Parts: sequence; C-alpha cells; structure tokens
Amino acid sequence: MTTGIDGRERRRGPAADDPFEAGDPLELAVARLKDVPPAADLWPGIQSRLAAAGAPQRARVVSFTLPQLAMAATLLIAVSAGVSWLALGPRAGSVATTPQPVIRAVVEPRDTQQPDVQRATFADAQYDAAVADLERVLREESERLDPQTVMVIERNLRAIDEAIREARAALDADPANTYLNSHLADARRRKLELLRRAAGLSTTGG
Amino acid sequence: MTVDDVVLAASGDTAAFERVYSAHVPRVHGLARRMAGPEAADELTQDVFVRVWQKLGTFRGESSFGTWLHRLAVNVIVERFRTLAVKRERFLADSEPVLEVTAAPVRARPDLAMDLDAAIAELPDGARTIFVLHDVEGYRHEEIATMLGISSGTSKSQLHRARQTLRALLTQKRTAV
Repeated sequence: MTTGIDGRERRRGPAADDPFEAGDPLELAVARLKDVPPAADLWPGIQSRLAAAGAPQRARVVSFTLPQLAMAATLLIAVSAGVSWLALGPRAGSVATTPQPVIRAVVEPRDTQQPDVQRATFADAQYDAAVADLERVLREESERLDPQTVMVIERNLRAIDEAIREARAALDADPANTYLNSHLADARRRKLELLRRAAGLSTTGG
Repeated sequence: MTVDDVVLAASGDTAAFERVYSAHVPRVHGLARRMAGPEAADELTQDVFVRVWQKLGTFRGESSFGTWLHRLAVNVIVERFRTLAVKRERFLADSEPVLEVTAAPVRARPDLAMDLDAAIAELPDGARTIFVLHDVEGYRHEEIATMLGISSGTSKSQLHRARQTLRALLTQKRTAV
C-alpha cells in the first residue's frame, strides 16, 4: 500500500489487462515502492515561475474545429434531407401524398427580419407546448403512417435533439456565443418544422 | 490540504497552492523519477506543478483532484519524452524494433543494494516508461498506446521484456546479498 496522489491509500500494481503471474517477485517489489518528497525544496522554484505563468485559467473557452463545424453542417443537411423526404414523398402507396401544401411549406421563406440570435430566445414555454402537442399528435396517429416513415421521423428527431442538447451544453459555458445561439435556434426551428410535417402527414392519413 | 485549497488556488491563491503542492509532491516526484530518472525528476516536478497551476480553472470535479493531477503529471512527462524523442530519435515507434532491455549492465559493486527503483532506472527509456505506467501506475496497454503514440502490441512486448530484465536484476540482488 502507498499513499496515493489523491491522499487515499491505494495498492500499486499492474493494470488488469496484463497482470503478474502468481508468485512473480515483481508483484511484491512493486507493492513496496514508496514515494518520498524530493531531497531539495522545489517550491521556491515553482513559486517564482507562477508569476510568469499568470493566473490559473478561469473559464473554459469554447471553440469549434473545422471538423466539428463540418459535422454540424452534415447533421443539418441530413435533417433537411429527412424533412424533404417526408415532404416530397414517403414510399409510394404507403401514405396519400398532398404535394401542394407540403411544397408550399418547403419554399415558405424564413423570417429574415429577425436575426438568428433573437430567435434563440423565443418563449421556451410556448415552444415546449407546441412541441409537446405535436409529439402527442404524432404518437397517437403514428399507426396511420408507414413504419419506414415513422422510423425516418424518429431518427431525424433524435439527431435534432442531440444537436439541441450539445448546443445547450456549449452555451452553458459560453452563453454569448453568436454561432451557438444561432445553431440552437436553427435546431429548435427544424424540430418544430419536422414535427409539424410529421403530424400533418399522420392526421391527413399521409 | 483540503478541497477548499484547490478552490482557493484556482482563484489565484499561491499559499493555498503551496498546500496542494506539499500534499502531492511525493507522488509526482516519484512518478517523474521513475519515468525520467533522478536527474530530470526535480525539473519535471516543477513543470508539472506550473502546469497544474495554469490548468486549475479547468478542473471540474468530474474525477478526484488527485486523479486529475496525476493524469496531468503523466501528460507533462510524456510530452517531455516526445520532445526529447524527436531530438534523439530513440523513443518508441511502431516501426522501430523492440528496445534492447535484456543486456542490463551488471553492477560494478556487488554489495550495492539493488531495489526495484534502482532496477527500473537501469531500463532503457521506452521500456521504463511502459513498465512504470502499466505495472506501477496501473494504466492499460490501450491507454499507454494512445499516450505514447504506439500500438498496444508494442506496449505489451516492451512490458514483457522489461519484466524479464527486472526479474533478472532482482534475482541478481538476492544472490549478491
């Protein structure tokens, strides 16, 4: 036993993926290893370097690498594809298509008067109520839809929920980040849009 | 040292950080001495604590502070090895043959006690690092491979050779006494 770095007693020894054989003399030798303070006092040297090192980092800086941004873009494309797939043609014969209103919804212009950052702040309660209502409709009426359609809807909803969860977690650390606010708003809008279309498909019989 | 000392140190309190240092320096120094040798241990220990100071604000309590500090210490030491390896071109790489560890030198003075720490110091850099990380500190081959940028197979073969050498050295000691 030895006093661990966290102040608790711990037994030294090999990782479980490659243990010592029974009776290996190394086992006892390793267990007996001791940690002793250095012969010289190292603190003065450390203290003199702390000033030059500056104060400890205070907050985590959130940044995104190019691959992360690419992944986010891919996710949005995949979700868009799912929405389009729903709008333009679930499997022929499985649901009755009503192209006119759906296509109108797809080309419906976004409200460009409001910046994205503001859209992230629209009332959570109102949004949550709308989402809950649509999810209820979808749940109750999902039997009318082709199972493959339901599967696509669920897969896309999971992807959007994951994007929302990640954006919220990142915003906890960096609340003023414009990109994150925009990303969150976009993901929430897409979720609402997907649910509206899915609910529309189910209540109209597809 | 208390948890409060970590919080105080993270806010820039050097007196609290000195208490953190005092509580953890034996283990960090022991790690540095075994991995890098006694001549480099003091400087590496100082490097570790300066890095700990810089990174204190990023400690989020997801693991124990000791575990966090220990992992950071290993990273600092491994980073140093990588820097030295580039210069000396002698550290482990998958393309390199397994280091010669069986030709450990016989000590000139048979009366000199050979404990495990001294035996570890006889190992070549790569084998020593892997033995300390795996058999002393409890890191798995997969973790070691990731840290050192080698394959798990290289880690296993190096460990096997290191153990053989150390057993021989310990036996040598027993027969010499």
